Amino acid sequence: MPFIPKRRGRDDDDRPETEDTAVHPTAGSGRKDDVAVPDDTGLFVDPDEGRASTTDDTELDLPDDRTEDVDQRAPLTRLSGNAEESRRESSAGTGGGVSVVREPQAEDPDDEYQWHTGIRRPTGNPDAVEFVETHKAFGRNKILRGLNMGLPEGMISMILGPSGTGKSVCIKHMVGLLYPDDGDVLVHGESVPSMGLDHLLGMRQKFGVLFQDGALFGSMNIRDNVAFPLRQHTDKPDKDILEIVDRRMDEVGLGAAWDKFPNELSGGMRKRAGFARALVLDPSIVLFDEPDSGLDPVRTALLGELIQEIHQETMEDAREKNWPHMPAFTLITHDIMTARRVSQFINVVWKGRIVESGPADELFDSDNAFVNQFLAGASRGPLGMN
Amino acid sequence: MSAWLEQPKDLLANVGEGAKFSAKIMGQVYSLRVLRFLGEALRQAGVLITSSTVVIWGLVFIIGLQCGLEGAYFTRSIGSPAYAGVFAAWCDLRELVPYAFGYMMAAKVGTGIVAELGSMRISEEIDALEVMGFDSVLFLCATRLLASWLVLPFMYVAAIGAGFFASYLTVVEQVGDVSSGGYLLIFWMFQNPPDLLYSLIKAMSMATVIVLVGCYYGYNANGGPVGVGTATAKSMVVNLIMVHLIGMLGTQLFWGANPRAPIGG
Ligand SMILES: Nc1ncnc2c1ncn2[C@@H]1O[C@H](COP(=O)(O)OP(=O)(O)OP(=O)(O)O)[C@@H](O)[C@H]1O
Ligand SMILES: [Mg+2]
Repeated sequence: MPFIPKRRGRDDDDRPETEDTAVHPTAGSGRKDDVAVPDDTGLFVDPDEGRASTTDDTELDLPDDRTEDVDQRAPLTRLSGNAEESRRESSAGTGGGVSVVREPQAEDPDDEYQWHTGIRRPTGNPDAVEFVETHKAFGRNKILRGLNMGLPEGMISMILGPSGTGKSVCIKHMVGLLYPDDGDVLVHGESVPSMGLDHLLGMRQKFGVLFQDGALFGSMNIRDNVAFPLRQHTDKPDKDILEIVDRRMDEVGLGAAWDKFPNELSGGMRKRAGFARALVLDPSIVLFDEPDSGLDPVRTALLGELIQEIHQETMEDAREKNWPHMPAFTLITHDIMTARRVSQFINVVWKGRIVESGPADELFDSDNAFVNQFLAGASRGPLGMN
Repeated sequence: MSAWLEQPKDLLANVGEGAKFSAKIMGQVYSLRVLRFLGEALRQAGVLITSSTVVIWGLVFIIGLQCGLEGAYFTRSIGSPAYAGVFAAWCDLRELVPYAFGYMMAAKVGTGIVAELGSMRISEEIDALEVMGFDSVLFLCATRLLASWLVLPFMYVAAIGAGFFASYLTVVEQVGDVSSGGYLLIFWMFQNPPDLLYSLIKAMSMATVIVLVGCYYGYNANGGPVGVGTATAKSMVVNLIMVHLIGMLGTQLFWGANPRAPIGG
């Protein structure tokens, strides 16, 4: 969508183009009819921030000098005004204009972000991982579009969202496997994209990651797979290592299959082996990408309990040993039962932004139509197949 | 027309990237950072020995037989059968053994590396390594380069031995126009120790390039299993070109001004 109509919606707005509400979440407080919601960072999050129309994306791609150029052209286009233009104009009102009346536009079916209130309900805990206005595109395919997301310390958080929204991409940003095109990703307050290699490698040892497909090493049996990080990163004698490994393997029910190679396992077994490997170094940030996909319902329920148990254990450990940061567990899942049973904090992501986030019980009571549909798994609602 | 140019263009585009990547790996080996994963390097060396030695020796042995046979019959036909040793001394050492070694390295070791690293890449194993806090280039590529430098010089010298032995067998034992002593006299007369060193340098340059090209194409594979297949094929093309380039330049450089036969003109 061209952004010219949008500029018209904001004619009275003399901020430079890049100072868009989408870029600075705090900047939207100039609006009259919105209630700004404080989050625990003390910043104000504009509940209407997500509503900036799709034109934001086009805009951000333009070099500054071109936007100048277009500014001058705007009156011309207005003169030529055809029907198409005026139709757009009406929809452009949603584009984050300063004094636009909101009521009619909320109904606008074209507005991709009408459900994205971006509200962040406070938890009182600091964030272990924080996304700040993160943008990421693969070629022309924009995946993250100004994501503001936090994963609080000491809690089991969930990232929920439709398939293909970029949840796995988020995980890769947290550990520095992908870098954002714009914006920042902070881990314990440190910016991941600006770390040097050695620093980054050190930082990654805080993480335990279960990839969506397990990512076990095909050249080793699963016991060696699970032992691998321990063998390389610690000086423990092999006997101790195998003790730890066997305990983890028993926890996930793979004690008997220890000598199998990954290609001899079922998908669910691979998942569980990857799960054991992710936890073997007692990481303080744990990321599980769909640990329960490919598991039977009973195993899924048990895995949920296991995650809670391990989180409890790690919390106690952390308190005892005075870890500087409480353990943050993060799950990506499509299983609403798991989400209900296990989660303490929920981020709902859609179209590259947060729809709403907050403590789990509050989110399950949310009156946001999208959040409701998603958490209920209903077929009717804002989310369709496309 | 443009479709014809597509492939060479594609190859050239990779040259810069590949050179940077290779420089990084070489740097990691020279700076001895790679010793952090000495265990893995030794494991790779073991894999290289068990999986590739016999094939390479076998190939070189057959080439040596051929060379001896043709040399024996050719020298007989021009009435100087005693000079069959020249073939073995020159052609085996300077050209055929290095090429055979290069081809086999490209076919067996090079493609093996591409396929292995490529499938690790697409199944996110490399990502998993990175996430566990390992420098994946160091762990996967530098260790392989070090392993090949540890193993291949010995393997190559032994391969030359196999080639020479095969030539000796055909010339002296099978065709039998010349006595063992007569053959060896000429054989040793037409080479000196630096020749062996030059040949070794040629072969090691080939091996280094092959391992680096394999690592580059494997490590940077994308596009699923098909992508790994394409990368393997591409790496093979690049490796064969490089083997010939190194073979040719090496010969010109080392023996171009050789007073016995100044092939450099
Ligand atoms: N390396 C990549 N190159 C190009 N596109 C990519 C890459 N990785 C991810 N994508 C694209 O990013 C989008 C989001 O992918 P991602 O795997 O993060 O989805 P997801 O939210 O995890 O979905 P699911 O719930 O199905 O796992 C997809 O449309 C995918 O095509
Ligand atoms: Mg995913």
